[in-house]
Amino acid sequence: MINFQNLYNYIFNIFGSVYSIFSIVIKSPISDISEKLGPNDLPYKIPIHPNLVHLTIGLFAIGIAFDIAGAFYPFEKRIFRFLAFPVTRVGFHDVGWYNVLAASFITFFTVASGFFEMLLAVPIPGVKSILGQGAITTMIIHAVGGIALLLVIIGMTIWRGYLRFKIRKDYGRQVSWSYLTLGALTLLVMGLHGSLGAWLASDFGVHITADQLLINGGNLTEVLQ
Amino acid sequence: MIHATLSYMFSVISDVDLIILNLLPPLNEKNLPWIDVIHPIVVHFVIAMALGAVVFDFVGIIFKKPNLFEVSFLNLIVATIAIFIAIVFGQIEAGLSNPYGVSRDILNYHSTIGWSLAGVLSVISGWRYVSRQTNPQVLSKGFVFVDIVLAVLVCTQVYLGDMLVWIYGLHTVPVVEAVREGIL
Repeated sequence: MINFQNLYNYIFNIFGSVYSIFSIVIKSPISDISEKLGPNDLPYKIPIHPNLVHLTIGLFAIGIAFDIAGAFYPFEKRIFRFLAFPVTRVGFHDVGWYNVLAASFITFFTVASGFFEMLLAVPIPGVKSILGQGAITTMIIHAVGGIALLLVIIGMTIWRGYLRFKIRKDYGRQVSWSYLTLGALTLLVMGLHGSLGAWLASDFGVHITADQLLINGGNLTEVLQ
Repeated sequence: MIHATLSYMFSVISDVDLIILNLLPPLNEKNLPWIDVIHPIVVHFVIAMALGAVVFDFVGIIFKKPNLFEVSFLNLIVATIAIFIAIVFGQIEAGLSNPYGVSRDILNYHSTIGWSLAGVLSVISGWRYVSRQTNPQVLSKGFVFVDIVLAVLVCTQVYLGDMLVWIYGLHTVPVVEAVREGIL
């Protein structure tokens, strides 16, 4: 009888040794620029991706929020009149459209910079996030999720454009309820996705100078003055 | 009886510290009473809306689309509301951040500009409200200058906040650990 455990170990050992040979022969392209990288594993001091993320999340979330406000405008009308704050339904839907449009423009750069900085990421080994995932799992989910969210944002922007200029052109309420529902769901997913990204920094110490120095035993006071 | 009352009052006052401590849940490994930092989340809306408003103003002027001025006005209102929430959480989390070395000075600058930015944003939104009352289709030329100042202030503030997180790692697990062990 074949012992499957032994067979598995045998195959795994072959692949393991092949892999270790490759890792000697094929040098990672990152090692070519490793001397140009600072203690945070980046060629510059502050990562770009987390800054562009502000714009993606802020513009998309507030865009959806203003479309929701535009959809419920008949209920809010009296409140705004009571506050002597003149607003129009068209104005709310304008914000909904232009903010989502701007979000889909900027998100290409957010994803691009995210992938560049993920190539150079050196997470702290042996750490688990609150959900019990390791660094590489978190990074892969965050990367694939980022692409998926980019697609969703682009798709929703195109949909929003059709609603605005074609489908609901002559309606007061410029968005369909399905658009708002999907928008709210996207925001929930975005919140979880953003938390994964935040843990990559706060728990796994990716691209944080002080964390990397502490883990590698560098001199903090020297680098940080 | 007076003595009893006074001593009771004294014991109440000395207990205030304990009461305030008990208002927040116990601190975690990031030295926070909640799972993650909240200030950077709220700040999404200040940064995106303020910079978005500036961009929409310029696009509106260049491409002659006056309805973009309304978009940037409403975005400014959101930014103004959000910055006060950001300051509340920013103050709590700054108080728990245990800054060390140069990060103390940076945190001071960040707080000063943050509070100032709340005032600046409020004034800009108020000014915008007044000028919008007369004609929402027209943006006064002076606002171009104000927009540039606002963008510069916001970018400076973002850079300072970035330094606190990405260089000094405040509220990240290794730094909090090092502070608790007395290394930093």
